[in-house]
Amino acid sequence: MHTSSKLKKEFFKKWMQGLQICCSSKKQMNIMERKKKIKLSSDIAMASAKMTPTSWSNALISNAKKCEQDTVLVDKLIGPQSQLKLQKTSNKMISFHNRVQCKKVLKRSCNYAAKKTKRMGDSRKNLATIIAKRLVKKRTKVLKRLVPGGESLDEFSLIKEALDYILSLKVQVDVMRSVVNATEVVLNGDNLMKSV
Amino acid sequence: MMEKREEMCYQFVEDEIESLISPPEGGSSFTALLELPANQVVKLLDSPVGFPVPEGGNNDVNLVKEEPVELRNSEDSDPVVSKSVKRKEREKKVKLPVKKSKNVVNESDGDKEKLPYVHVRARRGQATDSHSLAERARREKINARMKLLQELVPGCNKISGTAMVLDEIINHVQSLQRQVEFLSMRLAAVHPSIDINIDNMFSAESGSLMDCNFHGMVSPPLSLDGQINGHSQQLWQPDGLPPQPLWGAEEVNPNFITPENSLLSYDSSGNSASLHTNQLKMEL
Repeated sequence: MHTSSKLKKEFFKKWMQGLQICCSSKKQMNIMERKKKIKLSSDIAMASAKMTPTSWSNALISNAKKCEQDTVLVDKLIGPQSQLKLQKTSNKMISFHNRVQCKKVLKRSCNYAAKKTKRMGDSRKNLATIIAKRLVKKRTKVLKRLVPGGESLDEFSLIKEALDYILSLKVQVDVMRSVVNATEVVLNGDNLMKSV
Repeated sequence: MMEKREEMCYQFVEDEIESLISPPEGGSSFTALLELPANQVVKLLDSPVGFPVPEGGNNDVNLVKEEPVELRNSEDSDPVVSKSVKRKEREKKVKLPVKKSKNVVNESDGDKEKLPYVHVRARRGQATDSHSLAERARREKINARMKLLQELVPGCNKISGTAMVLDEIINHVQSLQRQVEFLSMRLAAVHPSIDINIDNMFSAESGSLMDCNFHGMVSPPLSLDGQINGHSQQLWQPDGLPPQPLWGAEEVNPNFITPENSLLSYDSSGNSASLHTNQLKMEL
């Protein structure tokens, strides 16, 4: 798909930018820190390389900003324009999230009383549907935790976000894998040359 | 009797879902499809049409915009044949409004934000109060998107049931996230510092880089010489290499110097001496 190769190029550029910014600090880093920086710049690059910003990308970036060490990197990567958009959306998201939580608490308390009376007259099929619904609810909770920014989404948009997130994760993995393989090939090949 | 009707309803639902899914035209219309369920408009029936379902089953209902007049009149004595015929007709009619609603989407792009009233027609053997109608509409939307998700995640096509599909999706997302972590760990292990000298490649065209990388992945063991040559040419193209005093030679990993040295000397064809030292510093 031609769109995905564009996305790959964008992501790659931004990722390299991020890595450059990272290594401009003169500290000596151990492997874990390096890995964190690599992953962080990769995530941010992915989130900012999207053509149309989606909920998960904004959530990713705002989460990264909360951590003080990385704000510099994040700010440099995403650029000035998108920062303003991010602030607005993050404020909206917070208030929306609170509202959603209040509604959920209310719903739960109402439904609890109703369900007690309902359960008396259950046929087998209703039981099955109830069990199925419980399973689905559990899994949607897990999915909400996985997708960044998914907690404040309803089921419908959660699925859309998950779709998008999966696509971009695939792109991320592809690019990263090819980079890693390229560097490994170079180094291994060099060792081979030496032995020969 | 009720059970028979419910079975018919379930089959009905499956057919509808299948027909809803059949129009996807490929990756480009993916997002168009995503917009689809949100903006789909079907007619609302305020007064239930023949509900509770009478014995004759005359008052069939459609899912879609088209008037059910023709179907209502086509009651045959042979119930099986009539049902299959009706199902096919309904399938056809489901496909048509899908195209129509796509056109609607194209025209009314400005109204994407607002969700108009979702109009749903009651199906045979199901409740018709507004709550359950709305719920059913919502469920249909969700099911349509779940089908899209199923196509995306490999190995999900054969599974039926929302819970299992969600399970697969969760596993897929988790595995992808773990892969990202793993790959970044590998990268961190390969280089003593984050300084990857691929930024030279980056300053060159990144498009050709992609091709080069993929070629490298495909045939690493064979023709290593050629590959390495190609790689290193790409890697160390002196394309406007900016002087980078920031990348000091502070982090010196003795193990890494020798391979880089030999590699650089191997590729000394087009590089100047200053470039070599710069490269070394960058590597370290």
